[in-house]
Amino acid sequence: MQPIVLGVSLVLMGAAAVLFWRAVRAVDGPPAGDGANRRRTQLIWTMTLVGVLVSVASLREWPHAIASEGEGVIVNVSGGQWYWDIDVEQVPLGTPVTFLVSSEDVNHGMGIYDENMRLLFQTQSMPGYVNKVSYTFEEPGYYQVLCMEFCGVAHHDMISEFEVVEQVPATE
Amino acid sequence: MSIQAEPQSPSDVIRPLEEAHGPQSGAVKFTMLLGGVVFALMMVFGLIMRAAQGAWIEIEPEIFYQLLTAHGAGMVGTAAVSGAAIMWYFLGRHVPLSQGIYWAFLGLFLLGVVLILGAIFLGGYGAAWTFLFPLPAISGGAWDVGAAAAFILGYVSIGVGFLLYYLEVGRRVSAAYGGLARALGWRIIMTGDVTGAPPPTVVAAAAVTIFNSIGIVLGAAVLVVSLVNLFVPEFEVDALLAKNLIYFFGHVFINASIYMAVCAVYEIIPEYTGTKWKTTRVFAIAWNAVLLFVMAVYWHHLLQDVVMPPWMLVVGQLVSYFSGIPLLAVTAFSLCIYIRGSGMKWDLASSLLVLSVFGWSLGSIPATIDGMIMVNKVMHNTQWVPGHFHMYLLLGEVAMAFGFMAWLVRGREPTEMGVFDLAALWAYVAGAVGFVLVFLISGAASIPRRWAVHLEEWWLQDRIGTVFGGLVILGTLLFVIRYVTGLLRAAEDA
Repeated sequence: MQPIVLGVSLVLMGAAAVLFWRAVRAVDGPPAGDGANRRRTQLIWTMTLVGVLVSVASLREWPHAIASEGEGVIVNVSGGQWYWDIDVEQVPLGTPVTFLVSSEDVNHGMGIYDENMRLLFQTQSMPGYVNKVSYTFEEPGYYQVLCMEFCGVAHHDMISEFEVVEQVPATE
Repeated sequence: MSIQAEPQSPSDVIRPLEEAHGPQSGAVKFTMLLGGVVFALMMVFGLIMRAAQGAWIEIEPEIFYQLLTAHGAGMVGTAAVSGAAIMWYFLGRHVPLSQGIYWAFLGLFLLGVVLILGAIFLGGYGAAWTFLFPLPAISGGAWDVGAAAAFILGYVSIGVGFLLYYLEVGRRVSAAYGGLARALGWRIIMTGDVTGAPPPTVVAAAAVTIFNSIGIVLGAAVLVVSLVNLFVPEFEVDALLAKNLIYFFGHVFINASIYMAVCAVYEIIPEYTGTKWKTTRVFAIAWNAVLLFVMAVYWHHLLQDVVMPPWMLVVGQLVSYFSGIPLLAVTAFSLCIYIRGSGMKWDLASSLLVLSVFGWSLGSIPATIDGMIMVNKVMHNTQWVPGHFHMYLLLGEVAMAFGFMAWLVRGREPTEMGVFDLAALWAYVAGAVGFVLVFLISGAASIPRRWAVHLEEWWLQDRIGTVFGGLVILGTLLFVIRYVTGLLRAAEDA
């Protein structure tokens, strides 16, 4: 998703920059005509319509949906200064994994990275609460857990790892 | 109480020469001098951090996080105080304001700065400017409670100063315009009649006074709770409630700095275009929307706190998007209309002020996209976040502040930009654009923010960002030098 987000942002920012540059270049041209207010109204309604469409499209499926109870596996993760306590070393491939994320002390952020160090998803790890997030891994391999919320002097050292395997041994 | 007449024709919008030496100008000029110097110093802190992330220099992580804390608190504080100085200066055109209150505000602000700097560089405090509960009390041995208490008391001092400031602004505006509702343009919204409409600066002052006062009071509540928790650890507050209060305060406070500084655009650009910036019905509706949106949007900082009620996260996403409409369709659109065909001259002041609205607008685009829950899942707390806020601060609020400073030391008429001004402007613009683009690209590459030590594969972006950061500092230093020499020249002339 990240390349798409970057691309869309750069295109929109570039388009806006071109419009602004044209306005700057038009300083010595003719003044804006009587149609300016009409164009403003059109812009407001266009932005509103786009906003409604994008909102409906992006929220129709709840982004924080949790796998239903009994489906997949549960992994308990707890953050502390400055470690991750994960109750398994391996999780299954192609099955929903629901992470129950809490904290022993201050706020942390659990970010799951793939082997290319691409962030797949994240949630906050905070004292007194359990944040739930579900994800289905589609590639086997080693995944990193990085801290995404500043938590003190060794924040950058809060890295852990687990493996996604096709079949988790029964002893797990 | 008299209300100063608004300019009615292009010739009237030229500022009276004596205004630049009026009773409020000394305090405001001093504030902006302070602001310019601190902006430059905080940028140097930022440069050190980027160079350290890129392994060009080596600093201990505790020093890095102290610099991070100083940079965040210093930049937010300086943006706020410079925005406050700008709004004070121009509001003084429309209502009388007490100079004593301003000095009290500035004195409390400086007291806060001393406490914060002492906490960081003497006490080793490094919990970032957001003081996320309960991190100030649980440092893992990096600092003691005294340092954390000094930092919190520094914030309290600054907050009290700002409340004094807003009390003065609020009561003066209310007295002059028959209440804050009228100053917000409610009558215009209801009737469509713009006769006797409050000037844009007054509308802005009324809105900012309301939302930032609320923000500061709620911020004070969580500061006091955090302070008690330092000395009585058994006294705990719900971490999620504290996070809500902190992000409400932080979001509102930094946004207020831009909404105060935009008064420079409303008041100075008309000198160049010859057309007064008018309070229309759309303008009044936009500012009333801003008043609500600024307070309702802070949930977009909590999109990964999935224990929050889902409707709050949805509101955070929706308001994040719709907040862009007043900015893009009203402020930026109006600016384009005002300058089009105006024949305005481009000096440093006008260039920076026009740039500031465009930079602010462009920065809102990646911010809005990050405000979508599905995007936030992979962008939150990556370098995408400093990417977008550096864009609307560096190319927005800070550009407004430097534009205002250039105007303060300008002669009566605009002059063509010389080599010095052009070099300063383009160094700043090229540096800032490159700097924020590197942050955005790094965010898309999933590089987390606020990490003292980076993986080797991230060093290239860090180093390119460092070079662009150096260019920003060069431009900033030239702006500050130009301002100081302008002040000295004016003093000699006087």
